Amino acid sequence: MKPGFNWQPVVSAAVVVVVAFLVLLPIVFLVGESLNVGDSMAFPPREYGIANYIAMFDEDINVLVNTVEIAVMATIMAILIGFTLAWILTRTNVPGRELLERLMELPYYMTPLVGALAWSVIAGPKSGFVNQLWHASGGKGDIVDVYGHFGIAWIMALFEGTVAFVMISASMKSMDPALEESARVMGASKLRTMLTVTLPLVMPGVLGATLFVFAEMLGSFAAALVIGIPARIYVITTAIWDSTLSYPPDYGRASAMGLSLFVVMFGMLTFYRWRITKGSYATITGKAFRPRPMDMGRLTWLLLGVCLLYGALAVVMPLAALIMTSLQRFATVILSQAEWTIANYRTALELGPIRVAIGNSLGLGFGVASVGVVLMALLVWIIYRSRIRGSGAIEYLVMFPQAVPRLVFGLALLWAWLNIPIPIYGTLWLLALAYLTVMLPLGVRTLAGVVLQIDKSLEECARVCGAGWVYQMRTVTLPLLRPGILAAWLLIFMACVRELGASVFLMGPDARVIAPSIVAAFASSGTELTAAMALIQTGTVVLALVILFRLTRGVTKEMT
Amino acid sequence: MSPTRIEVTDLVVRYGEQIAVHGVSFTVGRGEHLTLLGPSGCGKTTTLRAIAGLEQPSAGSIRIDGQAMYDASARRNIPAEQRGVSMVFQSYAVWPHMTVYDNVAYGLRVRKQSAADIKTHVERALDLVQMRHLADRAASKLSGGQQQRVALARAIAFSPTVVLFDEPLSNLDAKLRAEMRVELRELQRRLDITSVYVTHDQEEALAISDRVIVMNVGVIEQIGTPEDIYNRPRSRFVADFVGSANLIKGKVTGQGTFEAEGGAILKTVGGTAGSEVAVRTAYIDMVAQPGDNQLAGHVRQRMFHGDFVQYIVECACGRLIVRRPPVNLLEEGAPVTLSFSPEHTVLLQG
Repeated sequence: MKPGFNWQPVVSAAVVVVVAFLVLLPIVFLVGESLNVGDSMAFPPREYGIANYIAMFDEDINVLVNTVEIAVMATIMAILIGFTLAWILTRTNVPGRELLERLMELPYYMTPLVGALAWSVIAGPKSGFVNQLWHASGGKGDIVDVYGHFGIAWIMALFEGTVAFVMISASMKSMDPALEESARVMGASKLRTMLTVTLPLVMPGVLGATLFVFAEMLGSFAAALVIGIPARIYVITTAIWDSTLSYPPDYGRASAMGLSLFVVMFGMLTFYRWRITKGSYATITGKAFRPRPMDMGRLTWLLLGVCLLYGALAVVMPLAALIMTSLQRFATVILSQAEWTIANYRTALELGPIRVAIGNSLGLGFGVASVGVVLMALLVWIIYRSRIRGSGAIEYLVMFPQAVPRLVFGLALLWAWLNIPIPIYGTLWLLALAYLTVMLPLGVRTLAGVVLQIDKSLEECARVCGAGWVYQMRTVTLPLLRPGILAAWLLIFMACVRELGASVFLMGPDARVIAPSIVAAFASSGTELTAAMALIQTGTVVLALVILFRLTRGVTKEMT
Repeated sequence: MSPTRIEVTDLVVRYGEQIAVHGVSFTVGRGEHLTLLGPSGCGKTTTLRAIAGLEQPSAGSIRIDGQAMYDASARRNIPAEQRGVSMVFQSYAVWPHMTVYDNVAYGLRVRKQSAADIKTHVERALDLVQMRHLADRAASKLSGGQQQRVALARAIAFSPTVVLFDEPLSNLDAKLRAEMRVELRELQRRLDITSVYVTHDQEEALAISDRVIVMNVGVIEQIGTPEDIYNRPRSRFVADFVGSANLIKGKVTGQGTFEAEGGAILKTVGGTAGSEVAVRTAYIDMVAQPGDNQLAGHVRQRMFHGDFVQYIVECACGRLIVRRPPVNLLEEGAPVTLSFSPEHTVLLQG
């Protein structure tokens, strides 16, 4: 056979250079700017110092207090909800557990932005639906007001706390039922088993989830933006956003706050990882057990009620409120006064900027997902299969954007591309680049799950049979990866359509996307039009989600 | 044409700090079936993968038909796809997204053969493993034994001169493994191929090989025919790992004589210096034969295994294990004289 040109090192090197450029460069710019104490718009900075960091503690101390206060409240609520639901759905015989488990994922896909809009409709002062009903029944004043510390935390817990449920139920599922059974065999009662075996084994999982959720809540943006700014409650993320809006924009201050947030979150997540990899707490043996559900007798219906209540608060009520609002001229829950109309949808689809934003988001979703999966599939292969030196470092590099709050990454990209002499700031290209970068961890993790399931000898066998690298990739690796690639494509597409944190900084008048447009519409136009826009976005995501579920079910069938 | 097909010289393979293969040299003749035998982690699979080009060695050389595939001094390392060898993987590595036919045709398609040729060769290969009736079946819908046959057909379909086997039978159940062993031996005879086979199963190694290489911790312990390895183990490791043997401690007292612990004098073959002799459990008779080495003792335990009976006999030199056919059973506690030929009393090195 004639020796072909060896493409592997060339392709690998090119991919690594591109990723390093995308991931590290913006952060370098951000660090530089945070130390800029001269003219904050000057690049490179003329004077360096730590004044930006000091100012953060001097002038914005109430912002830091708000941030911690809201994050603590949200974390406590999220963990309580997550633990209760995880326990009910993994350890008891409540009917319809699989369906309910799917339901638990929905709030996450609805996004905190849509959740915050919905809850402002449900529980806003005066015109909120709950208060409307209260007034109609003769009540005075408002009985609920979501525009407060608790309201922000409540929305964050409902729509971003889902991860707590996922993590805690994973640690409950991975516990070998024999551990509990042996306690029972030794003569321990149900209660004693629960206290002496189950709880101690699950506790590390719960603590881990607490740490993780708290870190996430510190960097949470959407609820604080939609609810917090009208209520004049600023947290660190909205303060960063705010200081880029002032004139002249204070990028130095914003960078210092962004980097501090990044460092705190990074530290907590690293501590979390270190704890779970330490292994002494490992109830997770890699093997999934089917835990024997406990028979709860008559309590079953109460527990089912708890699950349904959550479903009502996090899915049904928000969606219903948004749908009602979007179909009326003036949002009201008193049906006799309602004026039904589809004008809001028509406006959303016809009004120039909004239509353009929807089109752009879909286009970016398609483009980024399509280019992304190819790049990510290559990356996964390089990291886990190529055995080139430093593949561990590449993995770290690729996963890095996950540790950086979206918002901070958006800020970093903004500052970097304002100063890089390639004129893509304010265009869709920069958004595409940003999406591609922040989606790297998501795509690579999804694809890696599939790659690692593929026995390495399937590829080696192709080589021994005489196939070169390109031929092997084309005939063996990529076809085997196809289901994973499709799943990753849909996940990235969804994530692009709902992207907010990075988009707010990078959107320009000629490059609008949907999520920031919803925020803008909420601030300037009526709730009714905003609700219609939010539902269009949610509908798109749900459609992609349905396809994904169909697909993955088919795939798992095929694979087993 | 040279009679040597594969020549491995001073091969060293490292995994980071660890040395997996530590200066291994051997040759494989044309049409020969060589087996690398050893416990897990002995470097046998690494050696095989280095021959295939799937592992990058750090020193030595590998030649196939006189051509350097790897040569540390010449900085030459031919990639796997250009070495023209074939391989059967431990996990079978049957591609689940293809049919049986497509799997087997892969090597031929890579070589851009005509459709007609591909068909002929695939069918011939499938016939050899009796899988032709399943040619259109999706590979993911095959049983373990069937996958194994497909992997075998795929490996021989493009008429390679060298086929490497990496523990191909280890994932099959015991009965199927015994059957496949017979078939594999048959196939080796029928096709003019040279094979290198890796296994940790000593029975399998002895049964299907022309020659066996016993490896341990990255080095070769002994090379020889199966009978050689079994009858004349050179080291304690080989005696212990291949078959079952009694090891008797003592000291050499002269040319071919050995004083066992407890005072008995044994006539030996094998090396000239050492402190242990090996006696296979199957070669010990429980009736005294003239001219044999003899040890007096009594039966401490008897275990009935079906195909054989295992006795543990307490002697002055320690406890010896004896395996006999399940007839003329001795009772536990009975006095007995063990008798074994000097030919089977092998002085071990070192």
